[in-house]
Amino acid sequence: MVKAVHYLNQFFAGLGAEEAAETEPTRLDGAVGPGRGLQAQLDGVEIAATVACGDDYFAEHEDEALDRLLALIEAEQPAVLVAGPAFGSGRYGYACARVVAAAAERGIPAVTAMHPENPGAGAAGRALVVPTQVNVAGMREALPVLGRLASALAAGRELGSPDEEGYLPRGFRRNRFAEQPGAVRAIDLLLAKLGGEVRSEVAAGFDRVPPPAPVQDLGTALLALVTEAGCVPQGNPDRLPTIRARGWLRYPLEGVESLSPEAYESVHGGFDVTLANEDPNRLVPLDTVRALEREGRIARLHDAFYTTTGNGTPVESATRFGREIAAELRDAGVQAVLLSGT
Amino acid sequence: MRRDRGRDLRVPRLPAGRVTAFELASFPADLLAVDRGRIERLVTDEPALAGVEVEVVAPGAPVRVTHILDAVEPRIRPDGRPAFPTEGRAGTGRTNRLDGVAVLSCADFPGEERPLHEQESIVDLEGPGAALTPFGSLTNVVLDFEPAEGVGHFALDEAVRRVTLAVAELVAEPTLAAEPEEIERFELGPGDEELPAVAALIQLSDLGQLYYQYLYGTPVGQAGLPRALDPAELLDGAVTCGEYHWAALRNPTLFFQRNELVRALYSEHGNRLRFAGVVLTRGYEQTAEDKQRAAERAADAALALGADGVVITTDAGGNSHTDTMLTCRACERAGIKTAVIVAEMADPEATSPGLTDWVAEADCIVSAGNAEELVDEWMPARVLGGETLLDGTPAAAAGRVPVRNYLGATNQMGQGALQATAW
Amino acid sequence: MLAKEIERAGIPTVFVTALPTVATMIGVNRNVHAPAITHPFGLDGSERRRIVERGMEMLQADVTPTTVWEVA
Repeated sequence: MVKAVHYLNQFFAGLGAEEAAETEPTRLDGAVGPGRGLQAQLDGVEIAATVACGDDYFAEHEDEALDRLLALIEAEQPAVLVAGPAFGSGRYGYACARVVAAAAERGIPAVTAMHPENPGAGAAGRALVVPTQVNVAGMREALPVLGRLASALAAGRELGSPDEEGYLPRGFRRNRFAEQPGAVRAIDLLLAKLGGEVRSEVAAGFDRVPPPAPVQDLGTALLALVTEAGCVPQGNPDRLPTIRARGWLRYPLEGVESLSPEAYESVHGGFDVTLANEDPNRLVPLDTVRALEREGRIARLHDAFYTTTGNGTPVESATRFGREIAAELRDAGVQAVLLSGT
Repeated sequence: MRRDRGRDLRVPRLPAGRVTAFELASFPADLLAVDRGRIERLVTDEPALAGVEVEVVAPGAPVRVTHILDAVEPRIRPDGRPAFPTEGRAGTGRTNRLDGVAVLSCADFPGEERPLHEQESIVDLEGPGAALTPFGSLTNVVLDFEPAEGVGHFALDEAVRRVTLAVAELVAEPTLAAEPEEIERFELGPGDEELPAVAALIQLSDLGQLYYQYLYGTPVGQAGLPRALDPAELLDGAVTCGEYHWAALRNPTLFFQRNELVRALYSEHGNRLRFAGVVLTRGYEQTAEDKQRAAERAADAALALGADGVVITTDAGGNSHTDTMLTCRACERAGIKTAVIVAEMADPEATSPGLTDWVAEADCIVSAGNAEELVDEWMPARVLGGETLLDGTPAAAAGRVPVRNYLGATNQMGQGALQATAW
Repeated sequence: MLAKEIERAGIPTVFVTALPTVATMIGVNRNVHAPAITHPFGLDGSERRRIVERGMEMLQADVTPTTVWEVA
């Protein structure tokens, strides 16, 4: 018999309704409220503790609440964490998602349940999300699925596909052999579309960042140059890879007025770098920006430029590089960036 | 069926009753006879080549083949015309094929200085990677070429391609004296006007030598693409391969000879659709304007064929996917419905999408599989082509190999059934 | 994708790219359409100046998400 921890909000943990929404992270013994129904659906797993937090408290102290909750959860050394079901409740769903995502990242298998349109449904990271009805009437239906998946996770059983097992796709892509070759599937999908029914095997889905406010006046601003076109000093002294770069580099620009072909080159492996090597300013427009600096159109150019090769770089790596570079730029007080890529 | 066009265009049609008749006669693999002497003489005539090792490998042998440049199906014409013509027109009359056989050419390009950097290209004939390519179920004639001392890349490439295509014809010679097992006749009579007209927009690449395909021996960037082609020409050796990057996403010669999309459209002609024809498009247009203009011209070519819908295919990776998506957008804006085939490059451990490019009009996408997934380790009993992979690991013990290194594994013409699904 | 992460840190960023459809798919907000993959900042100095000036204009402009500007 292995242990589970169950996360609930203040209401489902029986601590009160809206007036208890500021409840701080707290621990209760065993299964509480819907946890008792969940316990009946678990196989080989015992709910050792219930961890609860007020929805408002979580929303207002997210990082701190998460730390405290994870500490409470980890203290139980559970084989699985279950959160919710949150149904359509947005704050609760979001809190569930964050808790299970964080637990999963720390190696605790985790599953939650909520309505597919709950804002938390897309925020659970590697943890599983079981789709439910929009309100508590869906409890009866949700608990068996939640129980089965939690038991599977606790036992370390390998899971089947989202369709087979009843959880929402998390955004991973996994290969399999379809029944028909792609050519036949393409013809089938096209004929369906011509008949008015649009289906796709792939959907693009990237998160959105709101555009930052514009620079008031570049004449008083610090501008930085960044490139994904693999511009490096001649000879690539730090060995930036031509494809699937594992990092980024920073090179000084103090006293440099223009990128000369003797001193710089491009090592990007995804396009013909002949033109870029003839004049590296074609990738990183240093000569022009220096001229604008002299004219007072830009107050100052940051004293270094950042470079990587955006060729076959997995999204996660590019995201990490971006965050690291962004942190440096922010610390340096950079107010605007010109970025070149392919 | 009514087509609602955004533009008022007079659409020329194939004259009623015109047929394009091409016969493909299939002969069994046991007719294969590999004359090593003749092959070696072909190589002796090539100053760029120092030699060749020829191996005939049975289907499903525990062999890993590396450094593969091209895969070609043995073909020969009874009328004596070349099987891979550089002039005239393929796709008429009869061509013989050896069923169940492929010729694989292998070579490593010496030296570091290249405008682009090619990636490894392997095939496993057995083991967990076998199902990713069609070669495990074929008899493979493996040509492992040794470059001459100090030879340049382009000269090596030209010699390898010449010899490989010549060998593909040579080993099919026994079919000339035999009876075919099967004759397929490819022709397009006038179809039922009520059926939707579907065309295939097939992308070929040109990023300079070592990174292009050829149309009748001309690099596709110089072949006036986009342009319509009789589908039978595609099946009959008009397109050959000289492209060596993006192993899993590119299309060797054999994928045109055995093109599933064109074959399926022929077979559906008169059933669920009218096969309106093929337009060859070029991936890797290098400027924004060129990409946009080429996309619009591809849409115009599809309109000229009278297409109601098109399947748009992709070759290789990177910004060729932008050409695909712009072509999709141009077609949709011209009133032609599209289905697009692309491979995905999704980190298997991350929940981020794997499309290289996308436009809002691409609402109907076929997944050719995720090239970033890793295949379980397999230790072949034997390695052909090169003992060491391009990244320096030993080919016989390379650990988990990404799908992206397997030749044609995630090809984007729909040859195989690999597909990435939501997980 | 670098541009988005720098934007996430609150620094207005203009991405000069020959593939604006990739950028808008990923969700980059400020994009200037570069003439070519091989030379995003143009071939000669005057073309470069026009592209950089367009970028500067965009840095100082309010934009709706995933906007692409052409260079005159």
